[in-house]
Amino acid sequence: MSAAVSRNRLPIAATAGLLLGAAIMVTPLVWTLLLSFKSNAELMRDSATAFSAPYTLENYRSILVGSSVSRWLLNSLIVSLGTTAGVLILCSLAGYAFARLDFPFRRTLFVFVLLGLAVPEQAVILPRHQFFALLGLHNSYPGLILPGLVAPFGVFFMTQYFRAIPRDLDEAAMLDGASRFTLFWKVLLPLTIPAQATLGVFTFLGSWNDYWWPLISATTSDRFTLTVGLASAQMNYAQTSGLGFLMAQAVFASIPILIVYIIFQKQIVRAMAGTAVR
Amino acid sequence: MLSLELDRIRKAYGDTLVLDDVSLGMDAREFIAFLGPSGSGKSTLLRIIAGLETADSGEVRLDGQRIDHLHPGDRNVAMVFQHYALYPHMTVRENMAFGLRNARVPKGEIDERIAQAAKVLEIEDQLDKKPGQMSGGQRQRVAIGRAIVKQPRLFLLDEPLSNLDAALRTRTRVELAQLRQRVDAGVIMVTHDQAEAMTLADRIVIMNDRRIQQIGAPMEIYTRPANAFVAGFVGSPAMTLVKAALEPGEGPFARVRLGDGAQVETRVSRAGLPVDGPLRLGLRPESVRPAAAGTGTTEAEVLLVERLGDRTLVYARLANGEEVTAQDEGNSRIRMGDRIGLAVDGKAAHLFDADGTGHHAEAAA
Ligand SMILES: Nc1ncnc2c1ncn2[C@@H]1O[C@H](COP(=O)(O)OP(=O)(O)O)[C@@H](O)[C@H]1O
Ligand SMILES: [Mg+2]
Repeated sequence: MSAAVSRNRLPIAATAGLLLGAAIMVTPLVWTLLLSFKSNAELMRDSATAFSAPYTLENYRSILVGSSVSRWLLNSLIVSLGTTAGVLILCSLAGYAFARLDFPFRRTLFVFVLLGLAVPEQAVILPRHQFFALLGLHNSYPGLILPGLVAPFGVFFMTQYFRAIPRDLDEAAMLDGASRFTLFWKVLLPLTIPAQATLGVFTFLGSWNDYWWPLISATTSDRFTLTVGLASAQMNYAQTSGLGFLMAQAVFASIPILIVYIIFQKQIVRAMAGTAVR
Repeated sequence: MLSLELDRIRKAYGDTLVLDDVSLGMDAREFIAFLGPSGSGKSTLLRIIAGLETADSGEVRLDGQRIDHLHPGDRNVAMVFQHYALYPHMTVRENMAFGLRNARVPKGEIDERIAQAAKVLEIEDQLDKKPGQMSGGQRQRVAIGRAIVKQPRLFLLDEPLSNLDAALRTRTRVELAQLRQRVDAGVIMVTHDQAEAMTLADRIVIMNDRRIQQIGAPMEIYTRPANAFVAGFVGSPAMTLVKAALEPGEGPFARVRLGDGAQVETRVSRAGLPVDGPLRLGLRPESVRPAAAGTGTTEAEVLLVERLGDRTLVYARLANGEEVTAQDEGNSRIRMGDRIGLAVDGKAAHLFDADGTGHHAEAAA
């Protein structure tokens, strides 16, 4: 019994090391949080006042009333949710097709998908910019969402996942009189839910944190996503003035993502551990 | 009345011919077992009937209608898969209802059929479980239940018992036999287990080397194997086959000389045999009895003694090196290395000619 217990207990040195690491990670977050509850005037005098009362909700109030942050938040939600939904739909369909259907050039196309994994965004962003300018898609939701739908990893991931589902199930469903659509929708797709969750969470986070493309594509403040909007706000306020407000914006911006993390904790950990498939 | 008919089915995967002109007629409500070694095309044939594979040529008819161009779901057949293939995300009830919903069976009737099947299979209290929460034996029942509720004309079972442990397998075998009495449909079961085939089937189809080797009732296949392959494949331990040559003579029955010079008087009609050319004498272990050395038909040295309790199997070597399996009573005193005599019961002997065709004793008088 004692062996079992001691196996679960870390040596003291390791515990201390981990605590130190955690402290280093958490300190800036706590600092941000504290600053966000201080009045800007007080912080201008000395930011060390953040350690003592009085605290105020003033900064959060200004976000909700006077600023564009709510708008940016809405934009981010629309773009991220739109991208996630689009990626899940497209990758599921493509994954099913690559895993189960027999069509001309299937292997060649799949190789193209894999090659897509190797193309960095930097290589395509200029032509993409020109292309979107040509189509007049800049500074619009479709303009912000469409590039995110190109998801070679998602296609690859879903293909592998569909491939891992035994073909027996397809055959049983065929004998059960299922149409191809029923087979996909009622039998196979529900079995990919763990993969959908993993891919969905990562797509959402990636889209939420994306900075470069919205910076290029969104040109007016009412189309900014949070990342672009907050960065522009930071430029407007030199660190000395409005520090509390800036920090409140940062906290506010992370709330949705925090919620995603909390809800999908299991999937994220599983995906990180590389056990998402199977 | 014929229900299923297979007419000259051919199937190749690439250059490999898997089924070569396979034909078969099956009566309604008949239970047929496809028995054969692994890779003999049993599953392929079953899948062609189900519509999961397409034959390169040949016809499949069910109750007189051609079904080979129909979608699997429209063929009025149900299949039980070797690995069950239950839908993991659905409850047992949903698994059974899925096919019926696709066929637009009214809700009330679906519930009724499921309730009835669940009762027969004794899984009434499992209906809301998911397959992942059940044991192998229970899943097997659900897979059978899913087939039963469809009320098909034909059940197709691919090695349904091979994933169960020995005890459960015997029990399920009995249950399959009982179940079979209740359903008004034919059953085809693929198996490589001859005990399973012998117990359950009305007729056994022996498959090997792309073809049907023999179709017959279990005892017919055991007592009158059509060829040397069937003779060696059915029966455990296998029939002994030793070289033999026809002795010239006048009587109605063949008399043969073995490789070691011993002679055996069979009841196989001399008329049907090739005049010369090599023969093989087929002897079931129960028709070869150990005897005291110097008595009996021939002499042999004991290689191995296998004591099974109720009987003892004696593996012995003839003077010319060929091996023969004999059967002795349970408390046999024979030991390895003994020199013994072998008393061959010629009345039960079989002869196989050069191309393997079997010749059997005239029906016992
Ligand atoms: N999809 C396939 N592609 C290529 N060869 C196959 C395929 N399915 C079966 N075979 C081959 O066909 C032969 C018969 O297989 P199968 O019908 O599964 O035999 P059995 O069920 O009697 O063991 C085997 O040699 C097998 O390798
Ligand atoms: Mg098989």
